[in-house]
Amino acid sequence: MDVPLISNQDVYRNITLIKEYHENMPRGQAQRLAVEYLERLGLNDIAHRRNPALNPEERFCGMLLRAAMVKDARILIDRPFRIIPHLKDIQFIMTALKKIDDLYVSCHIYEYQWMKEKYGDL
Amino acid sequence: MAFWESVGRRVIRMLTAFTATIHFAGKVFLRIFQRKTYSSAMREVLVNQIYFTSVEILPALLLVAIVFGSLLIGIVFTLLKDFGLTGFIGHVLMGLIVTELSPLLTVLLITLRSGSAINTEMAVMKVSREISALETFRIDVIDYLVAPRIISGMISIALLSSLFSIVLLASGLLFSWLIFEMSLDVYTTILLNSTNFSDIFIALVKCAVYGFFITLIPIRFGLRASHELTSVPIVVSQGMVNVFAAILIIEVLSLLTKLL
Repeated sequence: MDVPLISNQDVYRNITLIKEYHENMPRGQAQRLAVEYLERLGLNDIAHRRNPALNPEERFCGMLLRAAMVKDARILIDRPFRIIPHLKDIQFIMTALKKIDDLYVSCHIYEYQWMKEKYGDL
Repeated sequence: MAFWESVGRRVIRMLTAFTATIHFAGKVFLRIFQRKTYSSAMREVLVNQIYFTSVEILPALLLVAIVFGSLLIGIVFTLLKDFGLTGFIGHVLMGLIVTELSPLLTVLLITLRSGSAINTEMAVMKVSREISALETFRIDVIDYLVAPRIISGMISIALLSSLFSIVLLASGLLFSWLIFEMSLDVYTTILLNSTNFSDIFIALVKCAVYGFFITLIPIRFGLRASHELTSVPIVVSQGMVNVFAAILIIEVLSLLTKLL
């Protein structure tokens, strides 16, 4: 299932959208929150960039943070290596998930059996 | 027989599309009056849309109003003078220029600029599955995408049409002085005497109706795009043709309202 970032909006607005729409959070507050979460992932410089200007890692983190904005978020990552094809292993994704583990309830990764070696002991 | 079958099929298709559009319009119209539509996210989109539709077009609109409007007023005033109809200046200015011409020219400019942009934007969002992404996050497309664009269209047309009228009336002042050697006081008195507030009210309602439909139709056609890139030009051209048909229908209805 494809859930791309909205391309005519900056990354931070993609992230704040959920809070602004579902919780009616004021724009300034939602923006501060988004920037704080991007800083956790070391990506505060992408806040004002749009989807086409992102590399695959940045795009993945933007999508991940947006998903984590849902209340009691249960994140489902469908074939992560399709989003970041050049990754050698799952380490980058696990590190990103660890850095924001307080923002979601659970996370499930779905992948084909033949990609098993990329996941190591996981 | 085959001919009549084909005509019947076309009529049925047209009526079905028309009914679906009116149903969609009704749904959006009701949503505009619901408080929950106005979330923080929606308000942000609304402000941006008003900026894109009303502010960014200002230089072009003012240029058209000054150049085209002034020339038109100059020609109309010269004709009035030639035919000895000087006494009708006020009625021509208020009845034709302010209530008919300004809304029509404004709506044409906005349709060319914003209507086509909205149509393409919606189609591209559909093709790139961004609409599906919004639905995945339970973000209502009507609340978040449709309502702000339509409200912005209604506000923008009313405001820009008023601005267009002001520029034309200012041109009228200049030409009335040049052609009829009329003073500001006389010009103002003629205008006030010719002002019929019901006409102005009808013109404002017409602007709001224009604004509603010239944004609703492109959105509706944009959302009809499939997930193929090739569907974008098809829905955009269909949408724009239908918008121009809607403009003509609204104009005819407003003229009928005036006649009856």
